[in-house]
Amino acid sequence: MQKMIAVDRLARPDEHIMVPVERIREARIDQGLLANNVMPFEEDFLKGRLHGIATGEMQAMEAAGRTLFDFPDAPWEFQLDMARQVWDESRHAEIFSKLLEYVGSYIGEFPESEILWSCTQVDDPACRVAGINRGLEGLACDVFEQIIRMGQKMGDPIIERAVDYVLADEITHVRMGSKWMRKLTEGDPERLQRAQQFQDNIDALFNFEGFRTSKEEAPQVPLMLGSQQIDFDATLTISRETRLLAGFTDEEIDRLMKAAARSSAY
Amino acid sequence: MLAATKHILELLAAGRRAELEALAMSKAAGELRELIDAIAPGVYERHQIIAHAKANNHYYVKARLFGARATPFTLQLRLGEHEGHWAIWEAVNLSGGRTAWTR
Repeated sequence: MQKMIAVDRLARPDEHIMVPVERIREARIDQGLLANNVMPFEEDFLKGRLHGIATGEMQAMEAAGRTLFDFPDAPWEFQLDMARQVWDESRHAEIFSKLLEYVGSYIGEFPESEILWSCTQVDDPACRVAGINRGLEGLACDVFEQIIRMGQKMGDPIIERAVDYVLADEITHVRMGSKWMRKLTEGDPERLQRAQQFQDNIDALFNFEGFRTSKEEAPQVPLMLGSQQIDFDATLTISRETRLLAGFTDEEIDRLMKAAARSSAY
Repeated sequence: MLAATKHILELLAAGRRAELEALAMSKAAGELRELIDAIAPGVYERHQIIAHAKANNHYYVKARLFGARATPFTLQLRLGEHEGHWAIWEAVNLSGGRTAWTR
């Protein structure tokens, strides 16, 4: 079986639309929107966000499986962790597809970005876990914490608890990523640096041009969700407490916050 | 949007370049030209819209052209309203790829 399956070879049903993230961003710019991602104040925020997560979970499942296959000589414990992650992500994909139904959406209502799968194009397991487990699942920790708060404000225990349940797993995935990034690069500082650089590139891709703040600093704006209006964040937030639980250091979180703030000055 | 897509697919199958170019945003002109060049005019008799997905007020549409003596041709468009009509913002040939966008 072929290793490093290219993005345009990722199997999907015919009635599914996959678009490179640069194209999705271009489509947003063409419509006068912020390039990076659906923002809390946009009409389709909840549906769009849940859709992005559902397809992300699917790709995370596929990517962990590919990592298992692509690196047969990796330590047995690493393979076991990747196998466990496949199982976790498959549950998450089911949970989010059900949540999509719950909010009146479905897989395929929005295009699927191939950003997570693109991380599997790197031929080093240390980079993969740095990019996927630490970069993208670290981002998921922030995003999930925000949706949990949104569920609480909406008085919706289904969303709040379902996402909280998944967040518990994501925290372990980040920890797993940190552990393997360090173990796989032991005695090879250059390789560690490459892995960290790979993660930095992923983090930079999602700093949202300054529309990312701590949850404490997020300005509150009125937001319509179905028939109800709530006051909610105008930004995508970074959750220090969740990231600390996931094993990021204060220094790493500070660096992320600074990068997000710095990009707003551009 | 679906009616506009059907109209565009008919124009593509017929190779009616000038009418298609009139429907495209200038940024999509190059991609559209490549797409038109890849479709042999008069070969495809029918079409099918396979999928559409929302990107705010724009839509990605995946479609396929069929002809009795030709391999089905798959393409993807991004349509969005511009000055009161649906315009082509992106146009890509997906034939040869599996299901995803071929770069």
